[in-house]
Amino acid sequence: MTDYWLSKLLFDLQSTPALMAEYKKDRKAVMARYTLSAEAQAALLADEVVFIAPRVNPYLLRFYFSATGMKDADLIAKLRTLQEAAPKETPRKEAAHG
Amino acid sequence: MASLVGCFAASHAPLVVRDWQLLPQPVKDRFTADYQALGRRCAAVNPDVIIAVTPDHWVNFFINNLPAVCLGLGESHDGPPEPFLKDFPWQQVPGHAGLGRHIAETALDNEFEPSLSYQARLDHGLCIPLWRMELPRLPRIVPMFVNDLEPPMLSVRRCFAWGKLLAKAIASYPENLRVAILATGGLSHSIGEATMGWIDEPFDHETIKLLKQGDEGPLTAFLTPGLDKTGNGTHEVRNWIIAHAAAGNRGFDLIDYVPVPEVYVGCGFASWTVAAEQKQAA
Repeated sequence: MTDYWLSKLLFDLQSTPALMAEYKKDRKAVMARYTLSAEAQAALLADEVVFIAPRVNPYLLRFYFSATGMKDADLIAKLRTLQEAAPKETPRKEAAHG
Repeated sequence: MASLVGCFAASHAPLVVRDWQLLPQPVKDRFTADYQALGRRCAAVNPDVIIAVTPDHWVNFFINNLPAVCLGLGESHDGPPEPFLKDFPWQQVPGHAGLGRHIAETALDNEFEPSLSYQARLDHGLCIPLWRMELPRLPRIVPMFVNDLEPPMLSVRRCFAWGKLLAKAIASYPENLRVAILATGGLSHSIGEATMGWIDEPFDHETIKLLKQGDEGPLTAFLTPGLDKTGNGTHEVRNWIIAHAAAGNRGFDLIDYVPVPEVYVGCGFASWTVAAEQKQAA
């Protein structure tokens, strides 16, 4: 389920380097300008990939965590826990990763 | 009259630029050779204009207004905003408003409804190939942005239709222009999802095999379900299909395919030889 405002925040952070710089200094101040649920705010503060990933476009997700300092290997590991929790019905994909 | 003089395709992994210094030398050498080979082929047909079939990576559009297809009609386009492309040589890329407008009008006359932009931004999707191809002169660019990032997307069948539409529009443009098509993106890759890093080599090899064979039916039958079952970045293969159809579903020639885990992408480089009668008809 797409979360529009969570997506909008990530989109704006990608589009506006100054906003990203501000966000890195004070996440709460920037988040307050968006209509974010309490759960989404908590997930952003805690870098909860598993919460955020199903709610935003994967490219925005990757940008966000890369820009906020998460290494790709860590992002991938967290994304895979999401996959393990809710395996997709894509046999080719699962088999190739096996 | 304008003529379609060639179609080309290339991958555009951001890490090819962003992490260039970190890539193993053999990988760098191969990328350099592949982009340069593509550039030589493109330069050989001496295009005045390139229609660039490319995704938008959340640079022009967002989910409050997300076109399936957008044509860039501007006299110029903004260069890439990504910081890692700060050394891209052109802050402004010349457009061809007349051809862009003609493609839009031809589309609307033929039951296609593209979105339009008179001031588009070109992101890494186009700018990396354009830069690394090292063309001796920069042709004018008419961007055709295809939504390859956020479902729902164009059907494969519709991509074939768009390719034919482009060929028709080029052939009916009254100015004496040499026009090429450059499709960017693909082949298989997975970004920001649980399978991130996965390169679906069997999918890529089958796609290449079917492009060589050329026929629309088998490609549609394979890609229509297949694009949803592999990595999300693979949706950019739609752009290759548009180029393939514009070339008349024939003439595909693979320059190279190399799966590069360091950049997360099954990288493909190819050109289509446009039939002589297609050039003359234009």
